[in-house]
Amino acid sequence: MTSDNDRRRGLLARLRGRPAVRSRGRRRLGAAVRLIAALMLAGGAYTVFAPGAQAQDNPPLTGAAAEGKALFDVSCVTCHGRNAQGVEGRGPSLIGVGAASVEFQVSSGRMPLARQEAQAHRKPPVFTDEQTRQLAEYIQELGGGPVVPEGDAIRDGGNVAAGGELFRVNCVQCHGFGAGGGALSSGKFAPSLHPATDRQIYAAMLSGPQNMPVFGDNQITPEQKADIIAYIQETLKHDQDPGGFNLGRYGPSTEGLAIFLVGIVALVFASLWIAGKS
Amino acid sequence: MSTHTEHQAPQGREPLDVNDPTLTRFDIVREGARRDDIEIVHYEPQVLPGTKAERRLTRVVAGFFLITGLAATAFLAIYIWWPWQYEPGRGGDKFYTPLLGATLGVALLAVGFGILTWGKKLLPKEVSIQDRHEGVVDAEGRTITGQTMLYLADELGVKRRPLLGISLLAGLAPVAAVAAAPLVGGLISQPHKNNQMFTTGFGAAEGGERIRLVREDGRPIRPADVSAGGQITVFPGIEEGVSNKHADSPTLLIHLRSSDAEQSRRANERIGHGDYMWGDYAAFSKICTHAGCPASLYEQQTNRLLCPCHQSQFLITDNARPVFGPASRRLPQLPIEVDSEGFFVAKSDYTETVGPDFWERP
Amino acid sequence: MKRRKFDLAATPGKAAVGVDDRFQVATPLRKLLNKVFPDHWSFLLGEIALFSFVVLLLTGVFLTFFFEPAMTEVVYDGSYAPLQGTPMSAAYASSLDLSFDVRGGLVMRQMHHWSALLFMAAIVVHMLRVFFTGAFRKPRETNWIIGSLLFWVGFLAGFTGYSLPDDGLSGTGLRIASAIMLSIPVIGSWVTSSVFGGEFPGTIIISRFFIAHVLLIPGLLVALISVHLGLVFKQKHTQWPGPGRTNGNVVGERMFPRYALKQGGFFMVVFGVIALLGGLFQINPIWLFGPYEAWVVSAASQPDWYVMFLDGSTRLMPAWQINIPIGDGYVIPPLFWPTVVLPGILVGLSTMYPFLEARHLKDRKSHNLLQRPRDVPARTAVGAMAVAFYVVLTLSGANDVIADKFQISLNAMTWAGRIGLLVVPPLAYYVTYRLCLGLQQHDREVLAHGVETGIIRRLPDGRFVEVHQPLSASNGHADGHGQLEYVGWVVPKKMNRLGALGPAIRGFFYPIEKPVEAPVSPGHPPVEARPEREEIGSGESRR
Repeated sequence: MTSDNDRRRGLLARLRGRPAVRSRGRRRLGAAVRLIAALMLAGGAYTVFAPGAQAQDNPPLTGAAAEGKALFDVSCVTCHGRNAQGVEGRGPSLIGVGAASVEFQVSSGRMPLARQEAQAHRKPPVFTDEQTRQLAEYIQELGGGPVVPEGDAIRDGGNVAAGGELFRVNCVQCHGFGAGGGALSSGKFAPSLHPATDRQIYAAMLSGPQNMPVFGDNQITPEQKADIIAYIQETLKHDQDPGGFNLGRYGPSTEGLAIFLVGIVALVFASLWIAGKS
Repeated sequence: MSTHTEHQAPQGREPLDVNDPTLTRFDIVREGARRDDIEIVHYEPQVLPGTKAERRLTRVVAGFFLITGLAATAFLAIYIWWPWQYEPGRGGDKFYTPLLGATLGVALLAVGFGILTWGKKLLPKEVSIQDRHEGVVDAEGRTITGQTMLYLADELGVKRRPLLGISLLAGLAPVAAVAAAPLVGGLISQPHKNNQMFTTGFGAAEGGERIRLVREDGRPIRPADVSAGGQITVFPGIEEGVSNKHADSPTLLIHLRSSDAEQSRRANERIGHGDYMWGDYAAFSKICTHAGCPASLYEQQTNRLLCPCHQSQFLITDNARPVFGPASRRLPQLPIEVDSEGFFVAKSDYTETVGPDFWERP
Repeated sequence: MKRRKFDLAATPGKAAVGVDDRFQVATPLRKLLNKVFPDHWSFLLGEIALFSFVVLLLTGVFLTFFFEPAMTEVVYDGSYAPLQGTPMSAAYASSLDLSFDVRGGLVMRQMHHWSALLFMAAIVVHMLRVFFTGAFRKPRETNWIIGSLLFWVGFLAGFTGYSLPDDGLSGTGLRIASAIMLSIPVIGSWVTSSVFGGEFPGTIIISRFFIAHVLLIPGLLVALISVHLGLVFKQKHTQWPGPGRTNGNVVGERMFPRYALKQGGFFMVVFGVIALLGGLFQINPIWLFGPYEAWVVSAASQPDWYVMFLDGSTRLMPAWQINIPIGDGYVIPPLFWPTVVLPGILVGLSTMYPFLEARHLKDRKSHNLLQRPRDVPARTAVGAMAVAFYVVLTLSGANDVIADKFQISLNAMTWAGRIGLLVVPPLAYYVTYRLCLGLQQHDREVLAHGVETGIIRRLPDGRFVEVHQPLSASNGHADGHGQLEYVGWVVPKKMNRLGALGPAIRGFFYPIEKPVEAPVSPGHPPVEARPEREEIGSGESRR
């Protein structure tokens, strides 16, 4: 019983503790972000249930979106079709996927695809940050959808301890305890998070690229996302291994390899020398 | 048997008088070895006293021991003065353990190689031959021991007095059982107490109250909390529901895309689980039916659920049927709905046994 | 005052006399000091296991001072920030504390884990040596059985130790262990419930595993190792065939001083290698796994390498479930076959092998001379088959990591393992058998015709032949070749092994100094001092 109370107190303390740490201004900002996110989600949900309604109207595009449309018509239209409505057998519709999805796929170089295969790989990005933003703007204006908050400071104030727990419940099963990635069925895989930026991780959680489940803002709040990103970036990605070389953090399989390749080989050489005729 | 040896020593030689003052110490050593059936056939100093080679090897060995001293001192210095309390991202402290290991390793390796060089290079080389006395059986000894054993048996007279043997067995068998009883009896535990193997936390309510699905921090879940193509790990909303005490209760609540949900509903109806889903939401046990790992690698496009321990794959849209790997039984589905306050609840407990298979699972 | 003065130099002698008066140890001690051991590098592999066991005991005792084997729930408040405030078991919290809040605790923990891996690896390598050289034959069957038991007891020691920290990875391992126990027909649920004290995970398993890991299993290991060494001592070590070596003698060095010094030095080397591994290579970073929670699992969850073959067999097992339609119906889950039946068969086969082979060959003699693997092709091929079987299973135990890092489909890896398990071992058997026969053949050829010299001679009729250097002087054969008998030992196959290019060069990696100035042993004529060092590979003849 006491242990249960302890546990609950710990959890509540953590939940309460976070706002207490933050400044009031940031709390207001957080509320505003949440409001915006909720509005956008509502908008996104609407567009999901009413696809094409806007697309057919061809509403006037803002400047950035118009630039984005120009880029889209050059590089993406082959697979995703006119007005991003998708081409059967080549590429899905992008109506309602939101700017978050575009930002993730394009800035990590996964789109445009090099070839059709089980899963897109990370590549050096084809488009500049500015072009990515324009493409994202275009897709966003076409069909709405989730958006990553502005700015590069999205993990500020993240709590690594809370983030670690969320990471273990929601992320390690696919990405592994060291965020190095893991295999999925039939050639699909969860990628390593080591090359991912804060915004890309955020965008991936929001949009659920490829086979990754979606972690919307109602499930994992923006604050919790910041916690998770803080844990990944600050605890896992820095070369912080107090116990020496980490052997790639693949778990016991590389440790087993090491004991034979290092331990046994060294000691067999030693015994060859000891017993050798001198 | 085989008495063939390579000795040059005469077989029936007289033992030396070890008190003979003309003998050298080596002579006595060799005599001792001979008494143990060992012939030292080759004995050759590798380096002669006073030669350059000897001085060089001595310096090498001494050098090794000095390295040990230095490394051990460095170990102590690092142990005491190096910042040792690890804090991620601070810097030097992450080298504490590697430095300790490296200095200790160098110290031990150097002392090892010092000793080895000493033994291998400075001591005389020798070849000795020892007789194994393999197969030389002391037949007389065998006979005597055998007869002694038989005599012992006679003395006890178990053969002549069978009652003694029987009563001994009858008396001692329960004693052995007495020794085993506390161990077995203390450890043994009834597995079906409270029907625990067939129930989970979702069936724990009294008076028909339905159990809510809650997150890992205890908050209940609304349908809007999980986006389409999303999944969330849920627990029974009871005391200690989110703990290892209810290790078989963790459940995966999945919000399927509408076309996949349609497929799932049809599959559900085929096996009479028509009302298990709520809207596009379905809940499956997270505990793999194969070995009990959390099968939680949900692929939202293929709707496969992969278990990372042994790679069993379950097709969610077909009642979580195992489609690949060693699992032989589908993941049990939790019947769910939304209560009047808009939170997910379990309509009842799982209707199939959760977790790894066992003999008496009906 | 003068009476008090005593001869310091005589003190040890007097003390020795005093000891012998009381215990009469002089003669047995001399026998011990004089015991002869043969010298070969492969005889040192077992020592690696022995020495890493000593390191295990030393580091393990240190760890027990800080580890708390309890599953009571605490909230972590130690110095590792990313876990502060996390509820966890006392066992996990104390494992974190001994890693981060005990000075030098982490290096001790890592050394303990590395020496456990080394212990098992050395056992396997030593066992392979004993198997492939036939050292397990009569009279040493008992020691072979003890050795195989040591592997399985070490396996249990490793698994219980892996489970103790109660981190995410070890908890997953325990969960699988409970499922394995559950899968046993009829009594499975009773076994699990009794071991875990109720439903998994219960609250007592860590303390039960703790006492098994620090008392029962090490006690058993110490007992088995003592008997193992005692038998090696009593039965005397096997030796390779060679000049002067017979089934009835041991040719080598007396135990003291040189052999013992080498052993002592080797212990330090093993200890040093473990210390280097423990410091420089991070093993089992429990702080990244988090506490065990039944709903948390990481990709690439694997056991330590010596358990991985069972994980592999489980992954490869098809989903064959046996339903028994009696009453309510009973089930034998597919998990039962690869995790209970397979190890059972392996234990039986491995311990019984010496008797099976002796029975098959109708061999009742005692053997103290080793056999070269090529001379017993059937046994060598069976061994290769077993190794292939084990390797396929072990690789399959890591097939998700391999699939991910080499970008192979996971499902394809599983199928490759399933097919490989059936195809690779017979293939290994066939290839090994042919290799052995080929090597035998070549040995016989060299004995019959001599060593290839690399000198090509043109015969008067225009043919080219290679000149062979016969190994023995002509014994009257018309062609000048003397047929030597094969004695089960290395046949020289290169000219420099025959002394044709000067004496074999001394030194391990590079040639060392010239030989000693003057021989001491009678019967060894003076050796001409060579002018200076020469590198290996200067093909120039020095005579």
